Amino acid sequence: MKYRPYALLAELTYKCPLHCPYCSNPVRYPQGEELAAGEWKRVFAEAARLGVLHLGLSGGEPLARHDLAELVAAAREAGLYTNLITSAIGLDQKRLAGLQKAGLDSIQISFQSDEPGQADAIAGAHAHQRKLEAARLVREIGLPLSLNVVLHRRNIDRLEKIIALAESLDVIRLELANVQYYGWGYLNKNELLPTREQVQAAAATASAAKARLAGKFELVYVLPDYYETRPKPCMQGWGQRYLTVNPVGNVLPCPNATSIENLAFENVRKQSLAYIWNESDCFNRFRGTEWMPLPCRECPQREIDFGGCRCQAALLTGEASATDPVCEFSPHRDVVDRFLSGVANAAVQSNGLIARRNP
Amino acid sequence: MSHVDLNCRPVLASHVRLKIDPVSGDPILLFPEGVLILNSTAHDILVLCDGKVSGHEILTALSAQFEVDEPTLRSDVVECLADLLQRNLIIFKS
Repeated sequence: MKYRPYALLAELTYKCPLHCPYCSNPVRYPQGEELAAGEWKRVFAEAARLGVLHLGLSGGEPLARHDLAELVAAAREAGLYTNLITSAIGLDQKRLAGLQKAGLDSIQISFQSDEPGQADAIAGAHAHQRKLEAARLVREIGLPLSLNVVLHRRNIDRLEKIIALAESLDVIRLELANVQYYGWGYLNKNELLPTREQVQAAAATASAAKARLAGKFELVYVLPDYYETRPKPCMQGWGQRYLTVNPVGNVLPCPNATSIENLAFENVRKQSLAYIWNESDCFNRFRGTEWMPLPCRECPQREIDFGGCRCQAALLTGEASATDPVCEFSPHRDVVDRFLSGVANAAVQSNGLIARRNP
Repeated sequence: MSHVDLNCRPVLASHVRLKIDPVSGDPILLFPEGVLILNSTAHDILVLCDGKVSGHEILTALSAQFEVDEPTLRSDVVECLADLLQRNLIIFKS
């Protein structure tokens, strides 16, 4: 077997009580019915047979699925390490106990800031206090807790306090992820993009905290790639390690892949996961290096960054096979530089964020 | 390197699962967003890490199992436990 998927992201629903303006869900939701529990169970079993070890249960908000504990139990039975990726809204003691009994391995809660007013403004809901209570319940019941905080111009200067919040909640992992500018995030990029000075200060803060916290918990800092000169190795390469199944059963090489036009997705209702992973045009489209244009094709980095991100290339150049415009050698790097100079020139002004809508 | 006291009783951290990779047959540790492929020494040590037996007792059990001189075995066990501790994959019960 040439390619093996290691992790499956299961987007159980697009419903969510939050309205974060950088949500990774698509701006245009696909049509179709949510997969039923029985269909998910088959997907989990097929994924395990393909070699998948990790399952992320996500959404939208996965707690909106009332059959969540049943799905966790099925994942556990398939041998998958199961992580619930949640806003924590609706995570009370009873549901937690049910999830723990079903064999859930860990819980990742999103926080929008350490500061309640700011957090609620970003989430578009009174959420922060409820998240704090849920996080404490998670630790009381003895489940491992991770935090994910998305960073952007409005909260990135609070990084020290955000890290302190994670410490106070007894986490095993803190993921500090700068907004990636696709979908909702792209719509809001003029409001969310940090300045170069902010990014440099945050990187130094994260790096010092990582050293200080070594042996206590893992701190992961995801760079904002617009400020880099080389692209990120997106998904460790298209169709190399990861797959996503969205709420209506489409199988995606990356969670944002529906943003690429002219890319057809197979559906678990019609095809086996093994067929889709191994044989489908979608998963094979950008595997290897044959598809690469110049300058990627002759670049010594081509097996390291894989030409960057296909969704970002499609979004910013109109061509999914183009070199990621973040790359200093991309003929389209000027597109990214224009965004950055716009940030540098703008004082922090607000025309208001476009809130994510539910389908 | 983290300090390893062989009087302590090591146990997998609550977020870590030890299993055999069904594809490769290798022993692995699974934790959020991560996999660690274990060599056979690390696996032999970890199956004994139940939070009930001490580092010394693990050493004794392994020396009965393998024909390795005590100092080498001791240094292997200490090194392995220190590495896992540094990665937050095990905890020590005192």
